[in-house]
Amino acid sequence: MMTRNEAERILQQQFGLNHFYDRQWETIQSLMNGERVLLIEKTGFGKSLCFQFPATLFSGTTIVFSPLIALMRDQVKAMNRLGVPARCINCEQTPEENSNAIRDAQEGKVKILYIAPERQENNEWIEATRQMRLSMVVIDEAHCISVWGHDFRPAFRRIITLVNLLPVNLPVLATTATATRRVERDIASQMGQKIKVLRGNLMRENFKLFVARANSEDEKMVWLARNLEKLPGTGILYTGTRIATDLYVHWLQRNNISCINYNAGLEADTRIEIEDGLMKNRWKCVVSTNALGMGIDKPDIRFIVHTQIPQSPVHYYQEIGRAGRDGKPAYIILFYNPADRQLPDAFIEGGRPAVAKYERVIAAIRNELLGEKELMKQTNLKQTQIRVIKSDLIEQGIIREVTIGRSKKLEYIRNSLPLNSHAFQELRNAKKSDLESMIQYAETDQSRMKFLCEFLGDTTTANFNNCDNSGLQKIHIDFSSEWQQKIDEFHENYFPVLEIGTSKTALVDGIAASYYGISRVGNALHHSKYENGGDFPDFLLQLTLKAFRKKFRDERVDLILYVPPTVSGNLVQNFAVKIGRSLNVPVSHDLVKIRQTKEQKIFENSYLKGDNVRDAFQNNSLQNLTGKTILLIDDIYDSGATIKEIGRMLTHLGAGKIIPLVIAKTVGGDTL
Amino acid sequence: MIDSAYWMALAHLPGWKHRRINELIIWFHHEKQIPISDFFQLPNNIWQSEYQLTTKEISDLCQAKADLPNLAFLAENLLNQGFELIPITSANYPSTLKNNLKTTHAPSLLYVKGNIQLLHENSIAIVGSRNASNVALQFTDNIAKRASQDYQVIVSGFAKGVDRQALDSAMKYRGHSIIVLPQGVLTFGTGYQTYYKQIVDGDVLVLSVFLPKAPWRPELAMARNPIIYGLAQDIYVAESSEKGGTWSGVIDGIRKGRKIFVRNPEPHEKNANELLIRKGAIPVSFSGEVLPPKIYPDSLKPDFQPIAAEPTTTPENEKQISLF
Repeated sequence: MMTRNEAERILQQQFGLNHFYDRQWETIQSLMNGERVLLIEKTGFGKSLCFQFPATLFSGTTIVFSPLIALMRDQVKAMNRLGVPARCINCEQTPEENSNAIRDAQEGKVKILYIAPERQENNEWIEATRQMRLSMVVIDEAHCISVWGHDFRPAFRRIITLVNLLPVNLPVLATTATATRRVERDIASQMGQKIKVLRGNLMRENFKLFVARANSEDEKMVWLARNLEKLPGTGILYTGTRIATDLYVHWLQRNNISCINYNAGLEADTRIEIEDGLMKNRWKCVVSTNALGMGIDKPDIRFIVHTQIPQSPVHYYQEIGRAGRDGKPAYIILFYNPADRQLPDAFIEGGRPAVAKYERVIAAIRNELLGEKELMKQTNLKQTQIRVIKSDLIEQGIIREVTIGRSKKLEYIRNSLPLNSHAFQELRNAKKSDLESMIQYAETDQSRMKFLCEFLGDTTTANFNNCDNSGLQKIHIDFSSEWQQKIDEFHENYFPVLEIGTSKTALVDGIAASYYGISRVGNALHHSKYENGGDFPDFLLQLTLKAFRKKFRDERVDLILYVPPTVSGNLVQNFAVKIGRSLNVPVSHDLVKIRQTKEQKIFENSYLKGDNVRDAFQNNSLQNLTGKTILLIDDIYDSGATIKEIGRMLTHLGAGKIIPLVIAKTVGGDTL
Repeated sequence: MIDSAYWMALAHLPGWKHRRINELIIWFHHEKQIPISDFFQLPNNIWQSEYQLTTKEISDLCQAKADLPNLAFLAENLLNQGFELIPITSANYPSTLKNNLKTTHAPSLLYVKGNIQLLHENSIAIVGSRNASNVALQFTDNIAKRASQDYQVIVSGFAKGVDRQALDSAMKYRGHSIIVLPQGVLTFGTGYQTYYKQIVDGDVLVLSVFLPKAPWRPELAMARNPIIYGLAQDIYVAESSEKGGTWSGVIDGIRKGRKIFVRNPEPHEKNANELLIRKGAIPVSFSGEVLPPKIYPDSLKPDFQPIAAEPTTTPENEKQISLF
């Protein structure tokens, strides 16, 4: 067995570091001893070194299962720079790149092979492992194993089975920065056999934690515009939705704060470019959904601001964990408006399809071996729902996914127990209780760091004086009428794009006068629609015309159509007539409903909204629409299903161009 | 099953005979009472002194040990696809197979998919040539019908001719069937699709003793025949020629004192059924009724051994040893 001195000499030569922390050395010793270890340590501790170091000493290849592609990329680069041969296999690389990585590993040229857990479902990979010399298996972000974790991923299920099948003396390391005691127990029991749990303390002394009470998005926006530049260095601004990201970026840019918009919907290239720019401090801040940051290895993120309360303290700790890895001060600010819980609430409630749909899927698979597509056809359920149901049914041991020839099929498991919907309820309750804890964090008058540590099962009694309840000055938001004017003006000139244009229809991306929930527009709409407040007020007409002119100034419109109402009487018709008068374009009243539809807002997902309006409209006009440019008007744009359906129908009738124009676009979670 | 990779490593030691593998299993499992994972962890000198393994055998075991992580990946794939691995020490391992094949021939690991309860029910095998006559196929159907009505499992080899007829008839009469593959379980592909409903309903079990990815080969087809005979309590022969798998299987069975029923052929038939009856198989009618023993003028030939004679003594090395 190697002594610590010998090991540290190698560490110096290979990694250019002088010493291990005690906990690192303890982990490394266990692994070199062929043991299994679950290592729970905070971000920035140096967990990766615990497997990178022994991997260089083992004769074969170490396989690292990691769900974080950005992290794989960074670590492979870093390892190769140090002269440690490392490769990665993931869906962002070309098949050739992946095959090359596999071949290099088979030829014994790779010390560390990073791979996405989903690969375990790939036959080429399973086949390839037959010819590799494996010396260690690492599971990064091991909390993904547990349904009680904040980021459960079904693909980890198979990794667990694999780990349990590995020979008992093959070293296995599972690491995570965030595991509550419950998650820790769950991981340890799933990994079975003898696993050594090493848990460090989660206290981040260099954090400065603040919670800023806000009564509206406007308050948050104004505070940021006035104070963001005062925060040191560069950082990340997390919002709750992609739409909010877009809004904040526009607002901050308008206030001359350099920033960029990031979300999971961007192309891989764009994402890599932004991640790279973040590393190089190209902007004051990156405005992002929670898609950014997992595994980004930037030591000097100086601030992390949340405009939306996260789902749980674990989510929050994970997200802020990326700040200040260099140990220098980092500002951690959470904006809290009690009304903000709507978004996580909706997420928790809308998480699962109805039990009847599960039963429908089980019945179909019980009767026939089916692929996902065939299953969708047979059950008339949509892909997103099928995926959730599929994952749950596999989890409950009712079905399994098998490979027949080259295709994947779902098969019923003989003698399996009936669906346990109680398990879903239990999960939902756990999530609700986590959300309550998150709200407690925002509302507590005690030490915030202590609160987080305790929630995460760290019971160390350190001296916590790094928050606005324990020594730091509180953030108070108040702003002058001058700023009120600025933000009003911003809203009135910021027109959300309706991204609905496709090459299949004559629809082009349309425009909305405003977002629904973040300005006085929503209130005015609500008053007219649901409180018998009469026609939409004139300022909405002016704003909508302004939006139209901003984007479509040079467009020659032949005809205006409007979406026929479900409940709100003639509001939209009257509004369309006024628009027509102002633009001097004729308004047609011939677009009608040919069957009853329900209010779109009662449907939870866009698929059902689509079903609700499918083939529901008809144009009764005898007028020839061929080649015509049509302005299609509605009041509120939510999923876009109605506009899409009408667009499809009008395209069919020969329309040349269809421009959607609405008063407000909803933001995810809006209550109409 | 946590020790799947170990069992795969042991069961497929290259060039090792079933007997040698089973002897090892008896030693570590039955006598030393240690789990297979512990056996693999033993140092070479213990393998040499206590288990008396040769240098070549130790080197084979070391090779197999190095292969364990890779086998774990394969095993994970198998379990994920719903296959089960049944080692010879498991309570799920069919006693019929163990009793019939004994230490010498019993495979140490079975790969199965489907209703494993079928391994413990009364069973018959219907065997015969790949290009059997219509009368042989009809006979097969008769026997399968009777067996299904009597809740007997029908063991067959998934070859053309009699094998397929036995399986199809078992399904037709809503009986139970064990398909013994002449290949690894992972190369049966669309077979699982064809028999999906039967597998889900518990009417079919697919079984193989070969490496999971082994494709069909004539040698495997031959090696599979003893498994078919071994899994069945009674064996029915629909039609046999004077050479090939059926013939050698039946001759082997008669030699081992198995009860083998052969369809009594019509006088004009050109097959070896009559010859098998002469050698000691029991003639049965077209509908499966046992016929009175035939008296042949040359019945005093040395290889003639009536079945009802004294129970044959089992040679020492084939004595059945409890593996539980």
